[in-house]
This record gives sequence, structure tokens and C-alpha cells, in this order.
Amino acid sequence: MYYICCMNSEFVQNWFSQVKKGTLSYIILIILDEKEYYGYELVQEIKIHTTLEVAEGTLYPLLNRLKAEGIVDSKWVEQESGIPRKYYTLSKSGKATLTEMQKIWSALETAINKLQK
Amino acid sequence: MKRIVFTNPAAQKIYDDYIKRVTRCIRLLSADDQRDTLMEINSHIYEATNAAPPENEIEILLDTLEKLGSPEEVLQPLVAYKKAQQATRSFNPVHILQAMRLNIANGAAYVILAFFYLLSVSFCILIILKIIYPSHTGLFMQNDKFIAFGFTTELSGGLTEVLGQLFIPVVILLMGALYFLNTLLFRLLKKE
Repeated sequence: MYYICCMNSEFVQNWFSQVKKGTLSYIILIILDEKEYYGYELVQEIKIHTTLEVAEGTLYPLLNRLKAEGIVDSKWVEQESGIPRKYYTLSKSGKATLTEMQKIWSALETAINKLQK
Repeated sequence: MKRIVFTNPAAQKIYDDYIKRVTRCIRLLSADDQRDTLMEINSHIYEATNAAPPENEIEILLDTLEKLGSPEEVLQPLVAYKKAQQATRSFNPVHILQAMRLNIANGAAYVILAFFYLLSVSFCILIILKIIYPSHTGLFMQNDKFIAFGFTTELSGGLTEVLGQLFIPVVILLMGALYFLNTLLFRLLKKE
């Protein structure tokens, strides 16, 4: 019967957007753990390393939230063009947060892998 | 903030219009937050348009702005969050009301908060009514039973206002308690 074998694409899409929403901050922290990035550069890094289609504008509210939580630090750096860049780095608390998130992610991954076997 | 200059006048107009929309969207924020947000969006547009090959300014700009998204949509969470931060810092009722309006879509708790604020405003109106219509405003009892707290146009037989001159101080106390509880609840919500 068709309705049994056909996947519920709406459900999958909703689930994927929830996963995306939940993992974006984790992805940002992993990227910022390497070096400091400015907003546009960070968007490009996300695009290079993941297949996530992220609305670029949504990144800034998230970065602001991470900053307010003390997870990232930011500073304006003047440029020759006269248009400064805002660089983001992982704070001390951000590094500890990332370590904790990595533990959780690994545990989740192991559990899911076990279930899928 | 330094404005980006485009050689094509149409591109310049598109950019100026977008910046105007951003400015409109963030007008409720503090001056520092407005400047910071505007500079960040401007920096993104500049970097994105400069990273692309300089073929068609308009196409590149339109593509950049499309990827950034509509300011009204993408900046809403940022404005709501920053406004909530400003409200919890300042205790200013205007900021708290604005923050509640912006965050109301984020949960039922904000609807309850909005209701409590409305109640505080109603209490304020009751004080004015007590001064104008003292016998029609107060705590009304009939045969030792609670009937109403507020304003009534009809004073049927046996209905007595029991608080008298104490009504205004009681309402002020209630307003203060509501305001304090609301702000406390607002701070707790912000911590979540």
C-alpha cells in the first residue's frame, strides 16, 4: 500500500529543521575553537564544512545570544575599507561549554549507533 | 557607520532601502545596540559583495540581501532578545512592555505576564475612579459575602463598600506587588 511505504516528508522536514536549530550553535562553537572569525567568514565556514542551508541573517541573533551567555567574545577590528569587521572568539567559558557539548554529542552518537545496528 | 558606496545607482538605492528597513526594525533597541547591529549587517553586506567577482553589482547585492533574509523576519529574535535584556536591566515599565510585546510569540508565560500588566493598569484606573466616584468604587460586600472589587454603576440595596479611604492605599500596594512579581517572573523567564 502506497501510504505505508511513502515517507512523511513534512515530518522529516520539521524534524530536520529542529536538528539544524539545535546543532547550529554546536557547529559555531566547533568552528570558533580553531580561530577567530568575523560574521561573513563564519557563514562561509559553516557552508564549507556542512550541508546545512542556513539563512545568513539568522546567524547574528544566535551569535548575540552566545555573546550574552558569555560563550563567545567579540571585538570590532578596523579595516582599510573603513568598514570594520566584528571578530568572534570562543571565551574560556565557551571552551568548557564546547567540551561538555562534545561529551554529550559523543554519548548520543554512540547510543544512536547502537540502536541502529 | 560608514555607508557602502556602489557605482550603480540602482544598487545604491537597493542597499539604502535595505539599511533603512534594518534601522526601522531595530529602532526599539538602545542606541549602542542599534549601532552595533547596523554595523554588523553593513559589514556582512560589504564582505559578501566584495568577495564576489565584480560582474553585476545589482545581482551580487540582491543575492547577498536574499541570503541575509528580510530584516523584519531575521532581526525579530535579535530585537526581542536584546529588548528583554534591556528590560531586565532597567526595570523600566516601557521597556518591559515592549519586550513582552516582542516576546509574546515565544510562549504562554509572556501572555500571563501581559495579563498581569493589564491588571496593574486597571488598578491604576480604579484609583482615578475612586477619586471621581468614591461610593461606586471599592470592595463591595453584601450580607458578609464578597460581591466585587472595582467599579460598579448600580448600588443595589445592602451592597456596601467596606474599604472607604483605605481603598487607594490597598490598590497601590496590590499594584506594587504585581509589578514586583511580574518583573521577577520576567527575569526568571529570561534566565531559561
